[in-house]
Amino acid sequence: MAAPTVTADTTAIDVATPRRRRRSVEGKPRIAVAFTLLFFLLLYLPIVVVVLFSFNSKKSLSAFQSFSWRWYEQFFNDDQLISSLKASLFISSVAMVGALVLGTMLALALEKVRGRPARAVGTVALVPLVTPEIVTGVAALLFFTGLGIHLSLTTVILAEITFSISYVAVIVRGRLAAVSGEVEEAARDLGCTAFQAMRLVTIPTILPALIASGLLVFALVFDDFVLAFFVTGVDPQPLPVRIYSEIRLTISPAINAVGTCMMLVSVVLIGLSLVVPRLFGRKDNGLDLLSGG
Amino acid sequence: MAVADDSSTITKPTRRSATHTRLWGWLLLPPAAWMFIFFVSSIVIVVLLSFGHVGVGGRAVFGSSLENYRALWNSTYLTVFVRSLIYAVATVVCCLAVGYPVAYTIALHGGRYKNALIAALVIPFFASYLIRMYAWSTLLSDEGLVNTGLKTLGLKDGIRFLNTPGAVIAGLTYGFVIFMILPIYASLERMDLSLIEAGKDLYHGPFRTFVSVTLPATRAGMLGGILLVFLPALGDFVSAQLLGGPGTYMIGNLIQQQFFEGQNQPLGSALTVVLMAALAVFMVFYLRATQRAERET
Amino acid sequence: MTDLAGTGTADAPTQETAIRLAGLTKVFGSTTVVDHLDLDIGKGEFFSLLGPSGCGKTTTLRMIAGFSDATEGSILIGGTDVTSVPPHKRPVNTVFQSYALFEHLDVTGNVGFGLRRKGLPKAEITRMVGEALELVQLSEKATARPRELSGGQKQRVALARALVNRPEVLLLDEPLAALDLKLRHQMQVELKTIQREVGITFVFVTHDQDEALTLSDRVAIMNNGVIEQVGTPEDVYERPRTAFAAGFIGTSNLMTGTYEHGALTLAPGIAVPVPGHAELAEGATASIAVRPEKIWMYEFEPHMVRIPGTVVATVYHGATTQYLVDVAPSVRITVLEQNLSRARNEDRWSDGDRIELGWKPEHAVVIR
Repeated sequence: MAAPTVTADTTAIDVATPRRRRRSVEGKPRIAVAFTLLFFLLLYLPIVVVVLFSFNSKKSLSAFQSFSWRWYEQFFNDDQLISSLKASLFISSVAMVGALVLGTMLALALEKVRGRPARAVGTVALVPLVTPEIVTGVAALLFFTGLGIHLSLTTVILAEITFSISYVAVIVRGRLAAVSGEVEEAARDLGCTAFQAMRLVTIPTILPALIASGLLVFALVFDDFVLAFFVTGVDPQPLPVRIYSEIRLTISPAINAVGTCMMLVSVVLIGLSLVVPRLFGRKDNGLDLLSGG
Repeated sequence: MAVADDSSTITKPTRRSATHTRLWGWLLLPPAAWMFIFFVSSIVIVVLLSFGHVGVGGRAVFGSSLENYRALWNSTYLTVFVRSLIYAVATVVCCLAVGYPVAYTIALHGGRYKNALIAALVIPFFASYLIRMYAWSTLLSDEGLVNTGLKTLGLKDGIRFLNTPGAVIAGLTYGFVIFMILPIYASLERMDLSLIEAGKDLYHGPFRTFVSVTLPATRAGMLGGILLVFLPALGDFVSAQLLGGPGTYMIGNLIQQQFFEGQNQPLGSALTVVLMAALAVFMVFYLRATQRAERET
Repeated sequence: MTDLAGTGTADAPTQETAIRLAGLTKVFGSTTVVDHLDLDIGKGEFFSLLGPSGCGKTTTLRMIAGFSDATEGSILIGGTDVTSVPPHKRPVNTVFQSYALFEHLDVTGNVGFGLRRKGLPKAEITRMVGEALELVQLSEKATARPRELSGGQKQRVALARALVNRPEVLLLDEPLAALDLKLRHQMQVELKTIQREVGITFVFVTHDQDEALTLSDRVAIMNNGVIEQVGTPEDVYERPRTAFAAGFIGTSNLMTGTYEHGALTLAPGIAVPVPGHAELAEGATASIAVRPEKIWMYEFEPHMVRIPGTVVATVYHGATTQYLVDVAPSVRITVLEQNLSRARNEDRWSDGDRIELGWKPEHAVVIR
């Protein structure tokens, strides 16, 4: 039998620690701020220069003459470049869809399936993230040529999907972890089978993550050079690969024009992926999704 | 806040029945199959081919000789390997030196602009790496903007920027510093700021506080950043190609040569295997370091 | 092993049985979380499962809902064996601790979710959802999104979402735990009112004894996977059967000693008379529990049991004062006195005073 209880019905004095707002802990040190500003300057300098000189009327990258659209006209009149642009857009779209489907399946399955084989798959799926593209490029090249598969846009797409699944899986898993398991149980409680619950509740709830990672994949694949370089066919080639040879041979604002267009696409996409999740009213934004890994 | 109850914290896994896991296993199958087919097996092919040789008609043939590896054991290749390691390490050091202060300033002094600043930081890095390296090569070339500016300022011959190790390392740093900044920023954000306040009481001085309080607290972030920078930097070839020259070539350039110019795929595979081995060794060190860090917290 | 479902008329349900648990067991690895539970819950009852963290109450609830498979035993709902029936086919609905609202739907969408799964006609759904929202007083928030709602409002949506399906049983898993005190009290009243109105059987899991006492028609106290006692709140409070039950609800003032010559010897020279318990064997170890409010400190009645003690602490609670009194080494009694006079604290007893404590013999509950 238990010893007599020594009780104190006295309510303990509740010492609430005031939540600290994240204010500066020191006065703003000017050196650090200046350093950071310098960093941002250097960060944007090449981008600004590329854009600026793409409008140069003179064929020079060191002296700006006057504003002109000529290089853009040249770009849009160049059949090869335009077909490369279309090819890149096509590759990115298909790769985005493929990576989204497979990456989401992976994320959902890893959340549900336990046991060592599942964990192994999860780890393997992360390896591409830390593998230099040259390794995956070589591997993909040997894989296709070894099997006698002719290099083409298809091979690029297949390789890009392989590489991109990891990004989708990481981002979606992050969002899945934040969704309480009870939400899915609630769906089942209210009459859903397990798969219905996933379709009607889980997936709509992770939609922001899907959108963010989809846009991210599109941007990454669109800009990707190394992997595409190894597995591309001869014609058409993805845009970065096409201009690579140009870059090595000439220095011309024509490349700047192409480069500016490419950067525009990427920036818009990444900007969207950071903003769109917020539109769904989440407290977390795209940044948390992308950097919180 | 809700009191944590029994079953929700106890082994979620054992709640799943065997059939349940099997059902969801079907969902795992397609991505697992894809990864296995396109990724795992392709890596295996690389390793296998590294033991092969160039056969009749220039085609690569599988084999079982160590010829390629023996060929790599000469001063030319070894110089490149060592150089790549040095460049990669130098890149990590530069990224730390540049990235940490930036992350620190934004995290602790960014105030309400924090998110905007991070966004402003992230966006340029998603502009094509190729284009950005190209941009620097045009800026820093002998006829580029920077030298033109320097010449007008009086420096008659300008400075040779390109085709130097410094340019390559700078290019790599520029390309990958974001992967150092984000993890460090994330761990700074997670850190309890009152620790710094407490540290200031204890350590009498911002520098000592930083070293003794902030630095250890961000160890996980730094390790993550080091991993995310070192690995791609080691295998990079674009930076050396556009900003450097044959004297600064890295493993990546050699590999690219073998596959596109030299057409010696087995040798290229061997080079790739060497690179992968270096990466694996580094991963082991990284995992040990993070485990140690976790144990100490 | 417990079988308290049929012991004594105070325990058995008086109406038709809504839920019957027979030998219900759940084992996780090597831990038995729920140990051969037998329980009958009557139709229309507000029934609480009360116990500390880890006692198995939530696991039991989850097994009734179907989210957790029983290792052994059976679950009957309304007479039908549902032990192997998946959750979406059971006639129960759950209100979760974290509300578990669907973020991508508005309130109406959330509440109507179960009805849509059943395939009811649209007009019917609209009507029923409207009624449910009125029941929980959230009609004006019909088009709001979960993220715009406060904790209390979310809880009410969760309740409406469950109730609108007219389940045979409503399961509630510590639904008020995340709310602040005032809101919790308010919601408790609302829950009770709603339960009376709809007449559905509620099975309510909580670790808060006040909540259980206030809301329930009957309470089951659980500990380590077994039921310590089942009864009305009054049964459980006034007539605890085990030391745990006595100690878990309120203060038990458990006094343990050897029964000799009609008294419990707590320590050499200190014996507490326990008249009227001839069933106790001479020399046996026994305990008695006396509730703090049943102990008197002055103006004793003739047949009261009286023992001396020393006041150790005095705690003022406005309407009442609590005294801690040592009657034996390491036997500390808590006494609760109403502050019937406006006498200032110094006029009452203070630390160090030698006093007498007394209680009516029938207020001492014997626990073996």
